[in-house]
Amino acid sequence: MNTAAENKSVLRCEDIEVSYGAFKAVTNVSYEFKPGLLYGLIGPNGAGKTTLMNALSGRAQLSNGRVFLNEQEITGQPPHARTWAGLGRSFQITQIFPEMTVFENLRLAAQAHRFRLQPFWRPVSKFKDIARDAERVLSEIGLEGFGHVSAGSLSHGDQRALEIGLALLSEPKVLLLDEPLAGVGHDVAEKAVELIRKVSEGRTVLLIEHNMDVVMEISDEIIVMLAGEILASGAAETIKRDPRVRTAYLGEEE
Amino acid sequence: MNAQRLMALVVAIIISVPLMFPDGQNVGLVNAILIWSIFAIGFDLVFGVAGMLSFGHAAFFGVGAYTLSLLTMRMGWDFIPALGAAGLVGGALALVFSYFAIRVSGLFFALLTLALSQLIYIMAGTKLRMLTGGVDGIAGVPRPDLFGIDFYNDSNYYFFLLTLFVLALLISGLIRISPLGQALKAIKSNEVRAEQIGFNVQRLQRSVFTISGIYAGVSGGLLASLIFYVGPQMLHWKTSGDVVIMVLLGGMGTLFGPILGVAIFEIMREWLSTQTSHWYGILGLIFIISTIAMPKGIAGMIIQLWNRIMPGSKP
Repeated sequence: MNTAAENKSVLRCEDIEVSYGAFKAVTNVSYEFKPGLLYGLIGPNGAGKTTLMNALSGRAQLSNGRVFLNEQEITGQPPHARTWAGLGRSFQITQIFPEMTVFENLRLAAQAHRFRLQPFWRPVSKFKDIARDAERVLSEIGLEGFGHVSAGSLSHGDQRALEIGLALLSEPKVLLLDEPLAGVGHDVAEKAVELIRKVSEGRTVLLIEHNMDVVMEISDEIIVMLAGEILASGAAETIKRDPRVRTAYLGEEE
Repeated sequence: MNAQRLMALVVAIIISVPLMFPDGQNVGLVNAILIWSIFAIGFDLVFGVAGMLSFGHAAFFGVGAYTLSLLTMRMGWDFIPALGAAGLVGGALALVFSYFAIRVSGLFFALLTLALSQLIYIMAGTKLRMLTGGVDGIAGVPRPDLFGIDFYNDSNYYFFLLTLFVLALLISGLIRISPLGQALKAIKSNEVRAEQIGFNVQRLQRSVFTISGIYAGVSGGLLASLIFYVGPQMLHWKTSGDVVIMVLLGGMGTLFGPILGVAIFEIMREWLSTQTSHWYGILGLIFIISTIAMPKGIAGMIIQLWNRIMPGSKP
């Protein structure tokens, strides 16, 4: 990749605003996400982190502003179109297909990526390439051997991993991860952090996470939100020293 | 043997009654079961597979019946192309409905499909009287004229209907296990996730609604030819209600369940209506009791019983 391409933003939002009635959940947010970097998005509860992620992925309607993916405007596009354009995401509250097996979950994501029009004239089992995609991601997220298990009966940590796997199958250039470690035990969290590192190789990741040690350690850049706006952004060390951030957020913990 | 095969066997026995007892006593009833089953199989693609409760399928059913009747009787079309047209018109109307109704979900979807189908019902009885014969309907709907076989004989018509029924069942079975069917199940299971992995949810819902409309249109045309008559009652919301009851009674989301539901419904209708004029009310009562006793329908009960008798076997 040449330098010009590296400087180009892969995801960019301009002056975006999301409001619910009179309440502005996100306001005046502009940001450029560079290729291949891992961004940690932090801020107190209610700061607008998930709403920003919803605005980027198409789940929340913008009352103002524009969103670009690879310099193509995606403002107003529905979530599935953004997924096709290369934007994957996981959710804060686990969103899987609980009554289907782990393999079937992944196979669905694989077929959603492979076909724009879903074939109806052949059994899904006859499409070998879809099954191969699903198997590949199954081992990538460390769930080999769990393919036949119903997704709803997986442990919480494994469900979180499956959720990332579902997002991976769309081969996203940008991956939005909303609290992938939420409710995950300490020992499992280490595995999950490893997985996040692995999936962030070669792609841009925006990660919402409350565990400060993890965020500070793995992020290339930290974005701090407060009351719907970006308060500060920069390298972990800069953020830790920023007096505004200390007062607004980190200060509460020290 | 598993529960699925057991159900297939039960269905096979029901529909082959005219072969086992060729005295012609039951063939009329089985013919009706075959036709309503095509309707129910198609309806369950929307209701059981995709999880959308439509209360408007009477519109596609009735419009299919009128299409076949008008094309054969007024335009002089042959039966088979007219039946194809009945399916296409049913599907096209379903597609139109879906553009309005899929914007909303759940109860609102059910109410909107109900309102749209009642609109068609009222129009058929009033504004389109010249075409539809108003409340009198159209009598004298023909049956197919193929290979010199006398299809006006119910026992012969049975084979024609059986062929279409098997075809309808095979296509539905294939759709269920195809990528399209799997995608629809995913939408039913978790719409947010389905959309986020890249499924165009509304387009998929429109597709299955249209396919289901084709099923309804074909079966409506067939019923008109079975009873030699089409009237606005076929468009009435009670027809939509009947197919919902049939599918719920038999077991939504299963391939054979809806057929079992149709069979029970039709047998009860046949038998109860000879006993009392209040048969519809009694049928409703039986339906209420059975949904409490068997929330997953007859199919669900068979699967449960089978797993109890044969523990360890796959459902």
